[in-house]
Amino acid sequence: MRLTDREKKRLLILALIMFGSLALLAGAIWFIQIGQGHDYLLSQDRQSIRRVRLPTVRGRIFDRNGICLAGNQPDYGICIYLEELLRSGKKRPTARKAWDMVQELARITGVEPQTTLRRINDHIYMRKPLPMPVWLHLDHKAMARFAEISMHFPAADIALYPKRIYPCGALAGHIIGYVGTGKAGEDTERDYHYYLPDMEGKRGLEKVYNKWLAGSAGGSLIRIDVAGFKHDEESIREPVPGGDLRLSLDLRLQRLAEEALAGECGAAVIVNPENGDVLAMASAPGFDPGMFYPHLAVHTWQALVEDKRKPLFNRAISGSYAPGSIFKPLIAIAALIQGKATADTVLKCDGSLALGGRVFSCHGGVAHGDLDIARALEVSCNVFFYKLGLQCGYDAIYHMALAAGFGEKTGLDLDGESAGLLPSKSWKRQTKGELWRDGDTCNIAIGQGDLLVTPLQMAMFAAAIANGGRLYRPRLVIGRKRHDQSEFEPVPPILERDLRWSADHLAVVREGMRRVVCEPSGTGHLAGLPQVAMAGKTGTAEFGRKGSGRQRGWMILFAPFARPQYAVAMVMDAASGSGGADVGPRLGKMMAEIFADERRSAE
Amino acid sequence: MRNIIQQLRRLNFPILAAMFVLLGLGIVFIYSATANMADREGIRLYEKQIGWAALGFACFLGFALTDYHYLTRLAWWIYAAGLILLALVFVPHIGLEMYGAKRWLQVGGARLFQPAEFMKIALAIVLARLFGWPGRPVRRLRYAVIGVLVTLLPAALIIKQPDLGTAIVFFPVLLGVMFAAGAPGKTIFFFLATAGLIVLLALSVVFLPARFGLPEQEHKELLMRAGITPYQRERILVFFDSGRDPLGSGWNKAQSRIAVGSGGLFGKGFLRGTQNILGFLPRTVKPTDFVFAVIAEEKGFAGVLFTLTVFAVLIYGALRSAAVARDKMGRLLCVGLAAMIFCHIFINIAMTVGLAPITGIPLPLISYGGTFIVSTMSALGIVQSVHIRGDWQS
Repeated sequence: MRLTDREKKRLLILALIMFGSLALLAGAIWFIQIGQGHDYLLSQDRQSIRRVRLPTVRGRIFDRNGICLAGNQPDYGICIYLEELLRSGKKRPTARKAWDMVQELARITGVEPQTTLRRINDHIYMRKPLPMPVWLHLDHKAMARFAEISMHFPAADIALYPKRIYPCGALAGHIIGYVGTGKAGEDTERDYHYYLPDMEGKRGLEKVYNKWLAGSAGGSLIRIDVAGFKHDEESIREPVPGGDLRLSLDLRLQRLAEEALAGECGAAVIVNPENGDVLAMASAPGFDPGMFYPHLAVHTWQALVEDKRKPLFNRAISGSYAPGSIFKPLIAIAALIQGKATADTVLKCDGSLALGGRVFSCHGGVAHGDLDIARALEVSCNVFFYKLGLQCGYDAIYHMALAAGFGEKTGLDLDGESAGLLPSKSWKRQTKGELWRDGDTCNIAIGQGDLLVTPLQMAMFAAAIANGGRLYRPRLVIGRKRHDQSEFEPVPPILERDLRWSADHLAVVREGMRRVVCEPSGTGHLAGLPQVAMAGKTGTAEFGRKGSGRQRGWMILFAPFARPQYAVAMVMDAASGSGGADVGPRLGKMMAEIFADERRSAE
Repeated sequence: MRNIIQQLRRLNFPILAAMFVLLGLGIVFIYSATANMADREGIRLYEKQIGWAALGFACFLGFALTDYHYLTRLAWWIYAAGLILLALVFVPHIGLEMYGAKRWLQVGGARLFQPAEFMKIALAIVLARLFGWPGRPVRRLRYAVIGVLVTLLPAALIIKQPDLGTAIVFFPVLLGVMFAAGAPGKTIFFFLATAGLIVLLALSVVFLPARFGLPEQEHKELLMRAGITPYQRERILVFFDSGRDPLGSGWNKAQSRIAVGSGGLFGKGFLRGTQNILGFLPRTVKPTDFVFAVIAEEKGFAGVLFTLTVFAVLIYGALRSAAVARDKMGRLLCVGLAAMIFCHIFINIAMTVGLAPITGIPLPLISYGGTFIVSTMSALGIVQSVHIRGDWQS
């Protein structure tokens, strides 16, 4: 049947309407897919992409000979991949299934479940796309049992977590410090949807060098499905492991130093006078840094904090002590350099010195008679140094002490360092409202009064005497190694300042200090060794109320006398007798073993 | 036998080719849309779809080889049967209620088919008979009125199910048939104006009372009386406000739009559509109403254009059959069925990309659905029957 024109036209119109509509649709879809495609891609990613922070492995800490002080050890756990247990996109059945599996695993491995249904629900609510740890810190036996059956539990897998270990236990605990769990949002990485924390240094080198040791966290982009479970991993930025540190510490010396303090409260520091390396730094009592991670029991922490002997306190750098007589070499140097005295200057000791109505006496009121500087140091005559101090004047003493590093932090790369206290005339006026008197100068001259020093400051002072007047900045880290380096990169020593002590002047003081140890009449002769000549100075400082009888025992030392390798300072919080009697023998024993070891290794 | 082969050689080839391409496309993307679903029934949806396509093809051949004049002769009986089947949906134990709608007939709990699908074809047949009977004066108003009544009756029953989307398709079929039959332009315009007015009225009932401060409760009652369910109201609101309730009623629209939009020029690749695989496109509607979103996401604009082109070929084929039809009834039959198929294509795709409210109309030959595949292929079979018997050699 032939179509009429009208019918033909109408069919054509119908065709045009239909094809036109389809073309219109195509145009609209072009606009959506090509024109606005980018926006839709973004919104699609926004709803399905999650960023996860990946923790990294912390760097290790070694002593100068390569012995590990802080390292990592794999800690085994079992985690469950919830997306494998997914039941029709719903939450409750999945949690139920995970819990059933945990119980089944517990039955087979014989390890009590460490999680609860509630915790599983929490995990699903809070961090669904991440594997859920259900056991942590499993021993090898449990791991072996799990490995045998693991193929029946495809949703469960062994998880490896790095665990911080301190192989040397409490040795150098104050220096190493410890770690705790880092908190989210403390760094600039706040854009993560899921934050897996690293360990974070809380004290000691772990804290000071946290950035170096921690490395940088990695991240991964995971795609989640509509129910929020992980679908797959889009991309990953590998975490960068932390760098290692090599310390100046010599573990052998550290052990000897800690043994020298055994049973007492006190501190001992051994430095290398040639470069400021801290070879040993002991503070007693100490603590084991390993007990802080992964968590410390509350009562243990309580006991540590409430212990009257303050085991967490690093006396070597944080303890401020009156130095007592070990400060006398500084007075001698100041007087010599100012030209107020020479090697031949002789002053008389009558057993006491009356000054403005007060009587300053030598210990026990013994009259030493006529003394030169060396002799005065040897017997530690107070009256001699009262007189020398007054002759010299406090300004000269103050500036010399300031230059030698007293009254300010040494700049050691460790936290919690104390500056001690070097009183100035204006300080006294401001804090006590009193003028400086000669009596104050006398007190400072024998290391008493308001003067406070740290054992480390004293060690650095002894090192300066030993090395001819160079004040180094003490240091603990002598080498750094990034994870991709094979050798440690050395850290150069820092010379704080050259004190410009003339060799002649210094020789006087050194001779006096040699006699302290090497002469039978020297106050530190109990520290003396037959085979090695050493020099030192003892001190006994009163503290607390005057006349309370409580005193600190001190001794500084450098050895061998001719070419010093070690500069030492040691303090005992409560000395029964004097520095010479209490500290001397301990230091002597320590030095004897150090040199004995040296000879052994030389042979 | 020879007769059959002769008939088959006269088949409308563009329709046949487009049909196979679209069926293949559908099966492939139903596979993709259901790739990561746990199959509870053992048989995967795409496998079932292959079965439906086979059944559909049998119907296609059956209708193609049957003279359509049998259908037009029985038109009123077929129409009556369709009405009865539609009514049966509301009879307990025969009608099956799913998701709050009664759209299925059942036998002992097993879903049989959706009478509305049958009714679509029945309507096209009865309208072809009404307007295509030899010598009928179609310019008379009485035929327009009968046509409207004949269309309104089943549409009302379907709206009652409720399935507004399917019912809406009936009116373009009526319009198309009347237009092709040569009804006066004035009548056509009047119908279009009325339809526009109804839509406008419905929209104003949804939007205006709130503007004028009518309390929510009274507004709800007003809507009830106007026959607009809260569910329909929500869909209209979502359509006009793209940011509305993106986690609830706006979810499908937003996710489908993201799926299409993020497809880009060439798509993310087969089985790589994240919106699809990660389940942001809801599992229940992915293989049915939103299968086009999966195509658009995984094959991008290239896939969209290809699909639209094949649909255009299909429509072209149907209209070509109308042009070569031996008589007016055959021509109107082809136009009515073409209009029906076209409406499904247009509304479904427009809905997928957010250009139309979500109505639940499937995409012909691509969406999963047994009754729909069979009814669409039957319709194409009828068009082929017209074509085979057409006057197309001259």
